[in-house]
Amino acid sequence: MSYQRTSQYSGSRRQQNWSRNQNTVAFISSVKLGPVAHTVLVALMITVLGLIYLTQATRATSYDYEAQKIDSQIADLNTKKSDLEVENARLTALETVKNSSVAREMTTASGTAYVHE
Amino acid sequence: MKLELQKGSRSRTLAVLVLGIMAIFVVRLFYLQIIQHGYYSGLADNEQIKRLTIPAKRGLIYALDGNKPVQLVMNETVYTVFADPQTTKDDSTIIDVIRRIAGGNARSDLQGLLGKKDSRYQILATKITRTQADKIKQEGLKGIGFQQESQRVYPEGSLAAQTLGFVDFSGNGQYGVEGKLNNRLLGHDGLLQSVTDVSDVPLTIGNRNINKPAVNGDNIVLSLDRNVQSYAEQALAAGLKRTRATNGSVIVMDPATGKVMAMANLPSFDPANFGQVQNAADFNNPTVAAPYEPGSDMKTLTMAVGIDKGVVTPTATYNNLGYMNVDGITVLNGVGLGNLGVITLQTAMNYSLNSGFITVAERLGDGSNITLQARNTMYDYFYNKFKLGQVSGIQVTGEAPGTVIPPTSPQGNAVRYSNMAFGQGLDVTMLQMSAAFSSIVNGGQYHVPTILAGVLNTNGVYIPQSTAAAQTTVSRSTADQVREMTHVARGTLFGRNDTPGYEVGGKTGTSQTLIDGNYNNSQTVGTYLGYGGDSTPRYVIMVQVSGKNMTLEGGRDAGPIFTDLSNWMIDYLKLQPKG
Repeated sequence: MSYQRTSQYSGSRRQQNWSRNQNTVAFISSVKLGPVAHTVLVALMITVLGLIYLTQATRATSYDYEAQKIDSQIADLNTKKSDLEVENARLTALETVKNSSVAREMTTASGTAYVHE
Repeated sequence: MKLELQKGSRSRTLAVLVLGIMAIFVVRLFYLQIIQHGYYSGLADNEQIKRLTIPAKRGLIYALDGNKPVQLVMNETVYTVFADPQTTKDDSTIIDVIRRIAGGNARSDLQGLLGKKDSRYQILATKITRTQADKIKQEGLKGIGFQQESQRVYPEGSLAAQTLGFVDFSGNGQYGVEGKLNNRLLGHDGLLQSVTDVSDVPLTIGNRNINKPAVNGDNIVLSLDRNVQSYAEQALAAGLKRTRATNGSVIVMDPATGKVMAMANLPSFDPANFGQVQNAADFNNPTVAAPYEPGSDMKTLTMAVGIDKGVVTPTATYNNLGYMNVDGITVLNGVGLGNLGVITLQTAMNYSLNSGFITVAERLGDGSNITLQARNTMYDYFYNKFKLGQVSGIQVTGEAPGTVIPPTSPQGNAVRYSNMAFGQGLDVTMLQMSAAFSSIVNGGQYHVPTILAGVLNTNGVYIPQSTAAAQTTVSRSTADQVREMTHVARGTLFGRNDTPGYEVGGKTGTSQTLIDGNYNNSQTVGTYLGYGGDSTPRYVIMVQVSGKNMTLEGGRDAGPIFTDLSNWMIDYLKLQPKG
């Protein structure tokens, strides 16, 4: 299929190049890469990307170990807290209080007086 | 470049061979990775993904100390020490360390256990504390391991044991609150599903991880006041020692709310050592689980029915012959002859004369017979209003309904109802009687009895439970008159022992027991049901004492326990004397 420009069109040179579907900047490298070199480069890129992925995955796993360590510490501290609460409850239990040296020194009140307003 | 291989050349053969092998690989890989994908990924998941249960903590149980919750039942982490006899070295050192640190928790034959070299698991000590476990770990013994578990601990010892119940070895609540509210106390275990490493450390890799936290059980606050409970148990123990009764129970209730402040029973048990209990009946809570014939305590309710229906007043009179004839059956007063002649119903209440209350029952009918109408009225009040003969739904296991035989039953005849008027011929629990009597002293307002005061939320803040709406049993006027009658009755015979300046009332009860279908006078149950307070009733106390082949009386045996506890309650509640 042929393409014919309309007579009304009057653009810049760049626009003319676009219209011809051509690059506006042409660069010709002096280094020529063959198919083998391209394959090696692609393989290298895949390897680098793989290494980056592995590094990140390992880093995430290392956080898991840190989190596990902290969880263990929290569990240990919670256990200690519970033990202390049990000990506190035992020390403030009625029987303990009744048998304490302080309680033994106490005497029964002889009487109670009330004031009515 | 075009690669051309000649027909039959070795290169072409090799190429075909390589392609063939590659094709086999492709087919095999297709089979393994596509067709068998589910099977192999399942095997991999089984190996890599662990499902760990996050155990929920069983809820704690609190009592009140005034208005402040205090722990009654807690959880403690304990450890079991085990050995792998095939890997242990230097058994004598292990024995020395275990005995020195675990003490009484160590098994007796450690040498024999460690000597079982064909075994991989031998328990050396149980229920040691975390501190003890840490000390053993510090010794660096080879072949020794620890197993962590949680157990219930009771800082207050055996206080309110039958009300609390216990948790069995499989972690389920049995008896008492532990049994009744087991589902609330249990909570829900959580789930952690994750890829783990060889040490079972969860890793975040994978896309099927589940982290569902555990929901701990509710921390429940009971309405029991630990000081009241403790003193009730102390007073009951002293009372049983004094009377030589073998069994006794006490309920203390707040009549304005129906909340149980104490629920004590003897004999009791130590919930921390429930396995050592010889008689399983000790686990029961007789205040709710042992219906009995309440005896003369019931007269307060019969009187309330009569006054509320407008057929009698406290000053109404009748001719006391010392007995009554009901349908040809002679019913004696039960307390010997006395106060014969025309007396008031207040006098009948003071001296607990059965004839007075049979008279009330008759006046509910045609005046001289306990007619069907009278029986229907009594049943309506006893069953529907005072809630006798039916479970209350209190939050402890083993509640028994008791029995109130309706007039529609062939057994619900006039003789039966004449007996019911003074507390025989029906079975009720102490809880039912206490709640019904509480409604009398609370102006005719009945509160369903409860032992729950509220919960402690996850932040440890006490959230009190609102009191359920009251139901009317009798009018305020009726309630006030009956309350005053019990006040006068107590003052007549027992008031001298009360702390002066306070309103204390009550009624004795001495009931025969049924043995082989016959009432037996040589085995009676003694009860005392009363209240106390300042300008308003602040507590209702019911005491019961009993024993096999023992004749126990309400006034002589149960009454002093009531008096002791009532006087203590006045001091404990800091009530000010009237006037």
